[in-house]
Amino acid sequence: MTVRRSTCFFAILAGLIPVVFALCLLTGSAGIPDLGTVTGHAILRMRLYRTLAALVVGSGLAASGTVLQALLRNPLAEPYVLGISSGGALGAATAILMGLGMVSVFAVPIAAFVGATLTLTLVYLLAGEQGIPSVHQLILSGVIVGAVVSSVLMFLISIAPTRGIHNIMWWMLGDLTVTSRPLLWAAMALTGTGLIVTWTLSQSFNAMTLGRDMAHHLGVRTGRTLLLGLAMATLMAAAAVSLAGIIGFVGLVVPHTVRRIIGPDHRRLIPGAALSGGLFLALCDTAARTIMAPRELPVGVMTALLGGPFFLAVLRRNRERGPLT
Amino acid sequence: MTAALALEGVTAGYNPGDPVLRSITLRLERGEMVGILGPNGAGKTTLFRLLTGLMQPIHGEVRIFGEPCRDLTAKRRAQLIGVAPQSIDGPIPFSVHELVAMSRSVWRAHPWQPSHTVRDHRAVERALALTDMSDLRHRPLDALSGGEKQRAIVAMAITREPPLLLLDEATSHLDMNHRLEIMQIVERLNREEGVTVLMISHDINLSADFCHRLLLLDHGALVADGTPSEVLRPELLQAVYHCDIAVSRDPQRGVITVNPARRLPTLPPETGARCHVIGGGGSAGELLRRLTLSGYRVSCGVLNRGDSDEVTATALDVDTVIEKPFSPVSAAAMESVRRMAQDCRLCIIPEVPFGTGNTANLRIAEDVCRRGGRVFIMEGIEHCDYTPDGEAKRRIQSLLDSGAKTWKHTATLLQQLAESDSQVETP
Repeated sequence: MTVRRSTCFFAILAGLIPVVFALCLLTGSAGIPDLGTVTGHAILRMRLYRTLAALVVGSGLAASGTVLQALLRNPLAEPYVLGISSGGALGAATAILMGLGMVSVFAVPIAAFVGATLTLTLVYLLAGEQGIPSVHQLILSGVIVGAVVSSVLMFLISIAPTRGIHNIMWWMLGDLTVTSRPLLWAAMALTGTGLIVTWTLSQSFNAMTLGRDMAHHLGVRTGRTLLLGLAMATLMAAAAVSLAGIIGFVGLVVPHTVRRIIGPDHRRLIPGAALSGGLFLALCDTAARTIMAPRELPVGVMTALLGGPFFLAVLRRNRERGPLT
Repeated sequence: MTAALALEGVTAGYNPGDPVLRSITLRLERGEMVGILGPNGAGKTTLFRLLTGLMQPIHGEVRIFGEPCRDLTAKRRAQLIGVAPQSIDGPIPFSVHELVAMSRSVWRAHPWQPSHTVRDHRAVERALALTDMSDLRHRPLDALSGGEKQRAIVAMAITREPPLLLLDEATSHLDMNHRLEIMQIVERLNREEGVTVLMISHDINLSADFCHRLLLLDHGALVADGTPSEVLRPELLQAVYHCDIAVSRDPQRGVITVNPARRLPTLPPETGARCHVIGGGGSAGELLRRLTLSGYRVSCGVLNRGDSDEVTATALDVDTVIEKPFSPVSAAAMESVRRMAQDCRLCIIPEVPFGTGNTANLRIAEDVCRRGGRVFIMEGIEHCDYTPDGEAKRRIQSLLDSGAKTWKHTATLLQQLAESDSQVETP
């Protein structure tokens, strides 16, 4: 039953890809581009990169959220729960305020990536006093480190000059404009690696949802799975953060929805969530670009506006049934 | 042939200075069906974690089919050992069928090998059918009752067709019928396919019924190892479980039944028999607790403030008279205790260390004795006399001479009390 349902689901997603591409390429503040002109070509190319960025970021965040929800055994887990977002934001803000953005277009994204990975490493080390940390310790230390990092970020914002604040805010709201193509390819490669590795671990993730002990009885190398899964989830989330800033709700909402449609088996769920996440973000971005054209809304506002109410509905449902139903 | 399971001088625990299991040596031959018994905290769970590789020994070695447990790969270990823990849960509601198929996947060479081979399919279906879960196959994990979960767990364990099956309280939530059914499945696997079974259970009778060999664990050591009739001896169980135990054998059916004799013979509430305990020095705590639970109206004294007996007595609302810390019993305190116990016809003396300060307390026992009441004195109390002139010993001897009885364990004392109560009532 689930198998047939998921076949349908993947067929629909595959059919949606050209539709979404067409929508993304043909709409925007400049309308349908005229391919006869150089400007038209340039606009089309910009929209194409932007769509690719949305696909990379959306799929990375959704896959990352899926993995974290399984490993942390927590329906509220998302890519940013372990302090990844605040770490990335702090890295980016530091780079912006130091004026590194003027030196190279790579400076801010790399700083964000470093900030995100360093934060997770810190969270991991703090959580595991001896050996491999428990899930609860991870969540707890993630929340605490995230709070500390956020307050440092607030401090930076409070002393920043106006122009810097604008840059930081825009960055924290999320923006899919591709400032440099190599950055897009790098994020794509990292996200691709993360997707492949997590997909090969999907059986182990299935077992890990039953708890470390039970997964151990089922022949899973639990310590390795936890470490590798966390590392890959961070890699994907950090790649997304460095490419597009902080975009919330995709990593939380997409896995939940897809799980409800095609079931909890991660062998199907990881590709399903990744694909849906990418398409969802591409659509959100298109909406953000067109709804108030020629003004452009931050895409983070779009995902939150769509994701927020949905998330509340999931919570309500959880109260009536079990979590993650 | 190598043993299915061998432990060689294994010490294990969470703290190397204070291990839970101490140098356990044990061998399970292939095809055995063995039960592990023991009270809470005896080390059963630690043993289970050790055998499943969740924990490594501090000293010694665990071998599974000759291979050191430490060297087994996770997958190989899962192929060799089917584990059925007490319960499972998770935030993601996999269906019963998905769970059982997931467990079967340990035989797959790599994650992408298709899971629909004929053999896999048959093993999954068989496990579902044997555990009576076929009809519930699409039920998600969070919609299962405790017993259904346990049947799903057993299905997960047996679908792997492991040569060794470890059950940890795997039938504790099951109703009578399903408990027997699961045990019969396990027994059948043991008999027909030579699966070695090791089960931990608090259900002594179930273990005695199905296991050919029982191991009794206490304080991290093996205290008995043998057939059910060798291990289930009342005196052994009594020493391990600290309660009175009746073992009955039905020679016709060959069944041994173990029942805790009602641990605390309780009195009907309206009788409220009075009982005075001469406590002190931390000797009376357990006695006060048991007597109160049994329904006696207990008094105790004279106690010194800060003594652990005083703490227990206050917590249990026992009538007491309290003297200053480390002070001798004053005449005034003695007078109030005597008034408190004036209509009491039962006095119990635990192993109180007597010195010049507290021998006065024996007055109550002497009063009770004079009134024709019953006095019970703990055996070995003569070693607790620290008075320079042996006054306590002398007075206790005279109590014994005038008909006081002795007692040994709290459990047996309650039995003695219940018996003498009925004697008192019958005439």
